[in-house]
Amino acid sequence: MTGASEAELEQFTRGDIRAFESLFREYQGEVYGWIVRVVRDPGAAEDLTLETFWRIYRARARFDPRRPFAPWSRRIATNLALEYLSRGRGEKPLEDDALQQGTPCSVADPAVSADLRGKVLAAVGELPAKLRAAARLAIIEETPYAEIADALGISINGVKSRVFRAVRLLRRGLEKRGVCP
Amino acid sequence: MNERDEALRELVKRAAAGPADRRLKRDLWPELLRRIERPPVRASWWDFALAAALLLCLLLFPETIPALLYQL
Repeated sequence: MTGASEAELEQFTRGDIRAFESLFREYQGEVYGWIVRVVRDPGAAEDLTLETFWRIYRARARFDPRRPFAPWSRRIATNLALEYLSRGRGEKPLEDDALQQGTPCSVADPAVSADLRGKVLAAVGELPAKLRAAARLAIIEETPYAEIADALGISINGVKSRVFRAVRLLRRGLEKRGVCP
Repeated sequence: MNERDEALRELVKRAAAGPADRRLKRDLWPELLRRIERPPVRASWWDFALAAALLLCLLLFPETIPALLYQL
């Protein structure tokens, strides 16, 4: 990726549809890839990518063409992904009867079974949206903290704090399901 | 980060690995273009006339407001 030129960005802010198409074609893959990392659902990520560029198009007049396009688009994409997660989408938690209430904690087997995988994903799915996004990006995707901080619009310490809280809640959620990692 | 946290992170990473394919499989531009070119929904003079008539009715007959709210 070479990055959009200032002239192209300026044309975009003036509403030039060809400049916007060129930007879209250059960045759609990156925006989609980022969203899918957060929501982990390719179908939802497609819809959110469309929505991201729709919002970008509508907000074009507010964009400063001297600034890079990628971080701006990623910030918008992240906000939309968080909205999506906070509406309760993502991994579906297991039904209550699937939870092994009262089962003694078993130490997690490193070769993750389907049952264990379901419990872990359910515990991740129970996290509040902001913590879930931070956990997915930091733990599952191993995205650098600086990159996460930039996309979420918070400090690196803020990301660390969210990941720390996510780990605590995950542990509690897994223990509730009889898993002690 | 202690060893237990490290073990938990490893478990989550293993459990969630896999399904997220990060490559976009289709071109989204035609869909976005259709959305951009769709004419914005505009209220006609008739919509404004109806709204004005309703407002006038409510001002003239305020006792109808609770009944109207009940129906909503």
